[in-house]
Amino acid sequence: MNLYPDNLENLPVTDQIVARCRMGDARAFHDLYHAYSKAMYNICLRMTGHSADAEDVLQEAFVQIFKNLDKLATDSSLTAWVKRIVVNHCLSYLRKKKVYFEEVEDQEWKSEDGVDEKEHMLTVATVKEAIGQLPAGYRTVLNLYIFEDYSHREIAGLLNISESTVKTQYMRAKERVRQIVHLKSKRI
Amino acid sequence: MNLEEFIRQNRSGFEGEGPGPDVWARLEKQLPKPKKEKGRVVQMMAKHWWKAAILVALLVNAGLLLKYMNTKQEVAVVIPEIQEMESYYSARIEQKMDELKQLPAATAGLDSLTLKELELRNDTYKMLEKELAANPGNERIRAAMIRYYQMKLELLDRILDEHNKYSNDSPSTQKDVL
Repeated sequence: MNLYPDNLENLPVTDQIVARCRMGDARAFHDLYHAYSKAMYNICLRMTGHSADAEDVLQEAFVQIFKNLDKLATDSSLTAWVKRIVVNHCLSYLRKKKVYFEEVEDQEWKSEDGVDEKEHMLTVATVKEAIGQLPAGYRTVLNLYIFEDYSHREIAGLLNISESTVKTQYMRAKERVRQIVHLKSKRI
Repeated sequence: MNLEEFIRQNRSGFEGEGPGPDVWARLEKQLPKPKKEKGRVVQMMAKHWWKAAILVALLVNAGLLLKYMNTKQEVAVVIPEIQEMESYYSARIEQKMDELKQLPAATAGLDSLTLKELELRNDTYKMLEKELAANPGNERIRAAMIRYYQMKLELLDRILDEHNKYSNDSPSTQKDVL
């Protein structure tokens, strides 16, 4: 599974493209953008849930990426750095939308415990839809952990909450997805 | 199968299309300029020096021609076949001017003043023509006109060359008429 441009992780190429961008070469900015735009747009889309907002966030993130390329240390991963900037822009978008990442009360869900996993018919479409229905805070934790491969500790740092809160929220997010998928399959 | 496993196994299925072309179109307008002041100045000069140089060269040349014509000295070099050379140069200049005019104004980056100075039959030319009419057969004036043609042609060549050099992003359809 290759979501990110491996060729840019290859040092000489990375160095070259970054060096050309630093010199203000418009073609290099174009190449850099097109190498990452699809994967990064998908992150934005998952995090914001709206295509127009995802494009706005992506654009803002790339303005910062282009502006700060000379601050990128030569031995660090370009992909990880680009991704971090994109994720941070998504998070500030969510904060502007008043999404809180602190512990929340969610008594209503606990009563639905004990769903039989074997009955679930997981499909990409149902899982996607179920994630889309999660409250933004839970969705964010789940996205960062499963899709963006950040650890619980890294997510705690990004969201400025404790690691145990991240773990709890992640478990609940997963549980909620299961429930939604289960309800959906029962309806069909 | 648990959720993590399912998502990881079907990861590519969760990836959608990329962003629309508008994002790059908007980003393109916000590309950062080269940071270092010196770097930028040097690059600007590399890219634009010739535009300023054309105007200066043509104006200085026109001034020198006036001075040259007013001197009483005999011309040391007599250029043969002046008549043919004259028509040869004017044809070439017209051709180059046409080529230059086909370039989008913004790409060529020439202002109206420079373009006017490059025109074949501009004020300097008319002045020389008038002088020639008043003194038919005056070799000095003819030689001055030829020199003026040569200079103009060289500059036009240079502009087209430079333009082609900096516009390699979009393959130029300009054919070199040389």
